[in-house]
Amino acid sequence: MQDAAVADPLTGRPGPKPKPSAAPASVLDDRVELARFTRWLPGRSGAPNAESSLRIGGMHCAACATVVEQALRRVDGVVDARVSAAAQCATVQWQPERTRPSALVAAIERAGYAAVPDTAAGARAMRRKESRDALWRLFVAAFCAMQVMMMATPSYLANAAQLAPDLKRLLDWGSWLLTLPVMLFAAAPFFSGAWRSLRSFRSLRSGRIGMNVPAALGVLVAFIASSGAAFDPGGIFGREVYFDSLTMFVSFLLAGRYLEMRARHHAEASLEDSIGRLPEVALREEADGSAAAVSVLRLERGDIVRVPLGQAFCADGVLTQGRTRADESLLSGESAPVDKAVGDAVVAGSMNLGAPVAMRVDRVGADTRFEAIVAMMRDARSQRPTAFGGADRWAAPFLWAVLLLAGGGAAVWSVIDPSRAVWVAVSVLIVTCPCALSLAAPSALLSSAMALARRGVLLRRIDAIEGLAHMQTLFIDKTGTLTCTPAETKGEGMLMTRVDGDAPVTDADTDAVTDAGARDIAASLAAWSSHPLAKMIVREGAGRVWRDLGETAGEGVQGRADDGAVWRLGKRPVLLPRPPGERAEVRGCEGHSVAAPALTPSYARGRGSQAESPQAAECWLSRDGVAVARFQFAEVLRAGAADAVRALQRAGVRVALLSGDDPARVAHVAQLVGIADAHGGMTPEHKLAAVRAAQARGERVAMIGDGVNDAPVLAQADVSLAMGEGAQIARAQADGVLVSNALADVVAARALAKRTLRVVHQNFAWAATYNAACVPLALLGMLPPWAAGLGMATSSLVVVVNSLRLAR
Amino acid sequence: MEILYLLIPLSAVLVLGILGVFAWALHGGQFDDLEQHGEQILDAATDSLDPHQGC
Repeated sequence: MQDAAVADPLTGRPGPKPKPSAAPASVLDDRVELARFTRWLPGRSGAPNAESSLRIGGMHCAACATVVEQALRRVDGVVDARVSAAAQCATVQWQPERTRPSALVAAIERAGYAAVPDTAAGARAMRRKESRDALWRLFVAAFCAMQVMMMATPSYLANAAQLAPDLKRLLDWGSWLLTLPVMLFAAAPFFSGAWRSLRSFRSLRSGRIGMNVPAALGVLVAFIASSGAAFDPGGIFGREVYFDSLTMFVSFLLAGRYLEMRARHHAEASLEDSIGRLPEVALREEADGSAAAVSVLRLERGDIVRVPLGQAFCADGVLTQGRTRADESLLSGESAPVDKAVGDAVVAGSMNLGAPVAMRVDRVGADTRFEAIVAMMRDARSQRPTAFGGADRWAAPFLWAVLLLAGGGAAVWSVIDPSRAVWVAVSVLIVTCPCALSLAAPSALLSSAMALARRGVLLRRIDAIEGLAHMQTLFIDKTGTLTCTPAETKGEGMLMTRVDGDAPVTDADTDAVTDAGARDIAASLAAWSSHPLAKMIVREGAGRVWRDLGETAGEGVQGRADDGAVWRLGKRPVLLPRPPGERAEVRGCEGHSVAAPALTPSYARGRGSQAESPQAAECWLSRDGVAVARFQFAEVLRAGAADAVRALQRAGVRVALLSGDDPARVAHVAQLVGIADAHGGMTPEHKLAAVRAAQARGERVAMIGDGVNDAPVLAQADVSLAMGEGAQIARAQADGVLVSNALADVVAARALAKRTLRVVHQNFAWAATYNAACVPLALLGMLPPWAAGLGMATSSLVVVVNSLRLAR
Repeated sequence: MEILYLLIPLSAVLVLGILGVFAWALHGGQFDDLEQHGEQILDAATDSLDPHQGC
């Protein structure tokens, strides 16, 4: 797929680059503009196919995705169309000789949705409009609901003698007036959603009806019945009005949707922030030495570009002039700026923080490392299997059952007592108004997401909770996820430094302790300790006989060798060996580590007793209190990583390690934490393939990672978590972020997710029981309408309170 | 209690008026970013004020 992204979008493009915003659809057909959201794939017949990304506006549920997909597929020349409801974007493959992008946009607009090319500017404007629109509707609904409730209060509190009938009618009229904005404006998304859903149901036989249909029907019936009662008391609709329940229901639903939309927008914005950092205009040095501003799309390989201070590098390349620092946190997650001198490589999207410099362009546009990863990630995202359809699956059968019952009830009563026929049908519809049913899942998921946020697990996608509860396979990245890297050691997995110089240290069999001997002694001592660092030193085949073995927390493990010498492995001993040269070296190292205490990884935090030692990622071997060797670690296991993995495995999750690192080192770490299934030397493509293979086997796949190379995999997995220290692009792509960087939180999150699903099931069971109990009563004409309204409110309240238990 | 016959319609009209005020504020962009302006004063690096503010 990288090959496809590499197709050069830059050569021979005529005309100036049009602005993306405020452009009529026909501008999309311009070739330069087209390149902004389209890439070229080899087609089946030899001619290239175009693949365009479009953002779709106005989608509310998974069913809408099907509608847009069908609309796109009906356009002549479209080869394939995929729409992702979660990301609100469509990926369309089309044949350039048979259609144009403007035709695609027109088709989507005809289906009742909005579409803009998937570039950040248009999408941002659309998001702002959507957010304002949702807030406006929510405010109208909630504010009117409060006022309607106020007007409804007298009829709840006062008896018939206290409340004059004409005053009651006036209050009803007032309620009706205030319900009008809710019905006509705030609830419009439900009506339009229901209408679209019904239309697609009829025309496509897709067999899916969104939750919009029962909600819209309930609201509509309650409004008609209440209006009838308000203007014609004692008529066929009786005297009871339900304006208060109705408006409250609408504002509840809108509030849930608003929160969901906020979370989605946040995720989208942070993703775009990381993608959209490439500047639009570059300062290119012309042959005569002057600088001209040109579009980034017109840059070519070999161009010399000036990069002002504070701007992002526009392409991958090499510095040719100046000296600066660059913020490459985007790619590496490392927030400290990196020094760059002439000849150093810079990557597109990183920020120039030091001084104005000049660079030679090596790779541009889709060719850059950054864009290739972004394209792969988008691809994976739109192919993600859809997860949560719980409520939607039930909606259609539920709706048909209710309609049949209401219709049947009305028919039977029209024979027995025609005056009560409508009344009974209305009561059935109101009592089953799917308030509890439609709140069952969202309310539980929301309160569980709040509880997780307090623990330090921030969820971007709320239905990730279902994925967490159901995960069967967990793929985990090594570097940065399972392990963390102390800042100053690089390269070697573990570095041993002798600090005893040439001082003759003997043991039982040989005259002097060789390097290998010291390593051996340390390994055999370490075998007796459960400390994470000790586990890194342990090695197969290092067996010695120790006496008086003991381990002191924070001090280390010690034992007496055959010759009576006491060896200790652990904290830095008080006594350092005497040779002056060596001593200076030791002090130098120590000073260095003291200077950088902030870089000491979470390991120090994991063991309180060692927290005062700034250099936790090292370990000393000493003999009779005199230091012999120091061990430094390039990476150490995160505190609790092994425990977390074991807990997950006990819970029946298959844990597999995917890493781009050297296979031998990966195998070593896997063995330390007890993972049998470990793969090293994997590229992002390999990782993606492994995840897809597991998904093809029908497994629910979770992924935890931290780096840029994990981003596509995070997008593909059913549920994904990124480490809080990870690269920005990985965090933007994951469903959730482990702010605390502690893998133990994954275990806790999974447990809470399981509890959440139990609560969802309880809620569904409650809603079903309530309906099963009340529908017969309503059918028998024994449920007065006020009781139906009360039941509807109570059932939702029970569901919400039950869900709130999760947030504690 | 006759005053209620005036006050109830009046309150309904007042609600519609308040909705209008909120609509004006919302579509003027006042709710687009609730955090940014509050945090602005804590950010020493940003240069002074909004140039369009005209103070």
